[in-house]
Amino acid sequence: MIALILRRGALSLVTLFLLASFIFFATEVLPGDALDVSLSADEIANMPAEVMARRKAELGLDRPILERYWGFLGGLLRFDLGRTIITRAPVGEIIAMPLRNSVALAGVTLLLALPVALAIAMAAAQAKGRAVDNAVSGAAIIGYSIPEFVTGLLLIAVFAVWWPLFPATITASTNDPLGVLLAAAPLAIATTIIGSVAYLGRILRVGLIEVMAADFVERLHLSGIPRWRIIWLHALPAAMIPGLSAAALYAASLVSGVVVVEMVFAYPGIGAELVRAVTRREVHVVQAIALAAAICVVLFNLLADLGIAALDPRTRR
Amino acid sequence: MRAALRRPAALLGGLLVVVHLVVAIAAPWIAPFAPTSLLDAPLEPPGATYWLGTDDLGRDAFSRLLWGGRVAMLVAFAAGAVAVLGGALLGLAAAYRRGGFDDVVMRLVEMKLAVPTILFVAIFVTGFGQSVPVLIVAVGIIQMMGVVRTSRAAGIVLMEQGYVRAAQLNGESGLIIILRELLPNVADLLAVEFALRASSALLLVSALSFLGLGISPPTPDWGLMVEDGMALLESEPALVLAPALCISTLVLGMNLAAEGLADALGLDAARGGGG
Amino acid sequence: MSALSRRALGALSLLPGIAAAQGAPRRGGAITVAQCSANRFVASAQTARHPYFTVDLTTRIPYNALVWVDRQMRLQPELAIAWQPASADQSVWDITLRPGVRFHDGSPLRAEDVVASYQLHRQRNFASGQIQRIEAMADGRVRFSLDAGNSEFPYVLAEYQNMIMPAAPVETIGNTGIGTGPFRFASTDPNRVAVYERNPAYWREGFPYLDRIELHNREGQQETALAGLRAGQFDMVMTIDPRSVRNLQRDADLVVDSGGGGHHYVIQLPKYPGSPFEDKRVRQALALGVDREAIIRLVYGEGNGWVGNDSHLVAADPNFLAMPRLPRPEAVARARALLAAAGHPNGINLGTLYWSPQSPEVGRYFQVLQETAREAGLTMALEQRPADGYVQFRTGDNDLSKGSFHRFAMTAVGPRNPGISLFRMRGDFVESGHWRGAEHDRYMALYAEAMREGDAARRRAMFTAMQSLLHEEVPALLPAGTMTFSVRRRHVQGFEFHPQIWSVRFDEVWRG
Repeated sequence: MIALILRRGALSLVTLFLLASFIFFATEVLPGDALDVSLSADEIANMPAEVMARRKAELGLDRPILERYWGFLGGLLRFDLGRTIITRAPVGEIIAMPLRNSVALAGVTLLLALPVALAIAMAAAQAKGRAVDNAVSGAAIIGYSIPEFVTGLLLIAVFAVWWPLFPATITASTNDPLGVLLAAAPLAIATTIIGSVAYLGRILRVGLIEVMAADFVERLHLSGIPRWRIIWLHALPAAMIPGLSAAALYAASLVSGVVVVEMVFAYPGIGAELVRAVTRREVHVVQAIALAAAICVVLFNLLADLGIAALDPRTRR
Repeated sequence: MRAALRRPAALLGGLLVVVHLVVAIAAPWIAPFAPTSLLDAPLEPPGATYWLGTDDLGRDAFSRLLWGGRVAMLVAFAAGAVAVLGGALLGLAAAYRRGGFDDVVMRLVEMKLAVPTILFVAIFVTGFGQSVPVLIVAVGIIQMMGVVRTSRAAGIVLMEQGYVRAAQLNGESGLIIILRELLPNVADLLAVEFALRASSALLLVSALSFLGLGISPPTPDWGLMVEDGMALLESEPALVLAPALCISTLVLGMNLAAEGLADALGLDAARGGGG
Repeated sequence: MSALSRRALGALSLLPGIAAAQGAPRRGGAITVAQCSANRFVASAQTARHPYFTVDLTTRIPYNALVWVDRQMRLQPELAIAWQPASADQSVWDITLRPGVRFHDGSPLRAEDVVASYQLHRQRNFASGQIQRIEAMADGRVRFSLDAGNSEFPYVLAEYQNMIMPAAPVETIGNTGIGTGPFRFASTDPNRVAVYERNPAYWREGFPYLDRIELHNREGQQETALAGLRAGQFDMVMTIDPRSVRNLQRDADLVVDSGGGGHHYVIQLPKYPGSPFEDKRVRQALALGVDREAIIRLVYGEGNGWVGNDSHLVAADPNFLAMPRLPRPEAVARARALLAAAGHPNGINLGTLYWSPQSPEVGRYFQVLQETAREAGLTMALEQRPADGYVQFRTGDNDLSKGSFHRFAMTAVGPRNPGISLFRMRGDFVESGHWRGAEHDRYMALYAEAMREGDAARRRAMFTAMQSLLHEEVPALLPAGTMTFSVRRRHVQGFEFHPQIWSVRFDEVWRG
């Protein structure tokens, strides 16, 4: 077990290194640099070439790519994420709060979506093939088939504009206490929950149905143990195993992958920050966020492995 | 296949996909107007001439709806094909070779999971332009990594079967074994994967178009139509709801078909659909 | 306008032209504003108060420039009350500062502050590079020495970054956010929110009316901003797409304000060997074949746009020379005749026109342009390019012999004075499609002459002659422009929008 974790940890480091390099070169080969994109069309139209060249030199953008790559790697080894190119702000400061907000959104979403998904999956699994199951799995597939931006925009139209129950857009600040921020974001949370319930519900339902059909459940059943006990104590843990890695990856993707929701609701998260950093060619910010996302994936994967080890009697033995 | 069609949900799914496909292919002949022509009648309400009314440039909304799935479906199906072919080869090769090659492939899979999808496409599109081939490749690569995982897992199981060992003893090359022995044995799985990947690609493409990173005007496209119509949602709701319904029914159809197919083949569609 | 009348206008020391609102203005209260225009200027915690890193739309909330441009694109005094050329060739300018102005920290505005501010601007602001030297003179005035004559130099003093900050070294000036404007910074959340509160010592006596303004950045997210407006979270949304205007006007609780002018688009027509645009007749046919009125009618809505004249000038500019207009069938017939004379009796394929979504309406604008040009026998494909990297994409090498050509592509043009706008058609700049030849030389000679000409009427005659040259030569196509629009809830009063979004003022806004 420990050897497995160590091996995975080492491989994860390789992933992180590859990823950092990939992002660095990918953002480097894009046309234009941080200075170019910080200027408007009007400004570029009127700025003399000498001035442009001088400012590029001031910002260090004229240095060769490999030199900058080594500088970047060196910084990473010293846990120094660097500074933004145009405004010279420490990257760590820029991403810390958006990262916190994204983790919080993902956390709340999972906390609320998992029990619902579980309940739905159990109801469906209990009644496999009957009307309940068909309705539930049908609803899950429909939920899964509607694009997030459509769900979000419709929720705004219905629950903020036509029937003004909730705020349409989030006006809370990036640095506000989490309670304030999340209280301002009910529709954003609802949008991510709808997608999550549909996705997680499907995974769990399949897992449960498989397990309920397994021999050991049949044996438990024959030995007179009540059905609810079988489901809760035996089938559910076993059913979680195959779903767990998928769910963990999904949780990790919630942190950086809800760009659309962040944009539609103006949620101050890391996904929108990332898109902004790419369009501004702030290479160091892009790097830092991509690394944070990667660390999330690695961590959640590890957690899932540990969870599987805890749930699965075979690995425990 | 026949088993799949006996399930009502799968039948409905298949029907939805077929209807959308037929409409998309036949759009040039059945659409009452050219999708981009300006009819000098902006924002006409739905009626006998313009079934769904016209948009603010005076283009027939119904004709645009008929045309609006063509490019998105082309990208989704092509990306699905790229994903399944590339992913199966990579995944099976990883299962066959294991060791260092396997590690490298799995790192690629992990990297894809760690890079937010939108960032990946944004970099691609910024670097190479917003054309259909670029979108196919970008979306295909994103979808590919999931296929790598499933086909690698299936491949590892197959490697324990006797006939692979037999082929190796016969001196067959690795590539031949992968193509002749492994690939045909995961064909069922790949069919399900294709439906899932294509449906998830379609969702992705419409989200990208909505964000302005996907299909670009003047191409009629459902995702673009939703984005474009939002400003007019209150007065002309059909301009938003009709294309949103089209995206959803097509994705729904693909998902139902995939589930039915998987059920019939005794596979597990939901788990494959992840990542 | 002579130097004397400028001085007289300055002595009035009032900013004219802000709309008369209904009833007497009320003091106090706060408003929450969202803005949708794309900007790359909102930045990190350390710089978010700097005039270069706040949204251009709001720089005149905490700051003032020396000069302000009004809705009719005329110069008005702001922190300067008079400006005069001190040399016959218009290359030296003396500025008289408004007396009694104080910064938010209570320190008085001095000539040294202007000098220190312009030490930054001449290095960073795109329009201020021509300033060679800035001096504080013994009598309290400030002298600007330019590298060449510029009869329109005062417009530079009104540019959106050229705000006046308390003197500090170039590296740190502006970071405090202290200005002389009607409101001072209360707090910022970089990229998202800026909160301002009333400056009780503002130099315009009695202003501002509001106690507080909260500005939310909804860059490129107009639908979210409008949903917030409808849900009552915002009192105003600035820089909205003209197309949503009609819908918003139906709502009795909302008022839509037009700036009376706004941005437009230039389409580069590359003239390298082998390009279809090498032939002047093809360019003329394109200028005739594009249905400019249809663009306005369909993309912006009647009355929400203006017909361009193939120069970078906007119709709101007093120097703008309208093009002769033809009935549509005649324009199409003449375009076809020109194409036939150029050897394309069956029409011509112009290749791919590249565009980038610099504003929400760009996609629709170019679809209408494409469709209407087709009626005149000019076909083209459209291809969207992402906003980032777009400049590099459309700009090739200046030296055409290197074979890296610029493209048949569009870009946005902001509304500015002739001195800046007409210079964009110079042959060594990409937007003119690298226009060369005798007419180009005549155009540039006229420009140089106008920049040394102190008399406004004679200058205007030269600008007119330059625009006539462009109508004939069509080095680039500038078909039509829009108005800027903002929308407010009815209780927000005393607000006027502006063709230049960076010249919007909140001094006289009040809450009813």
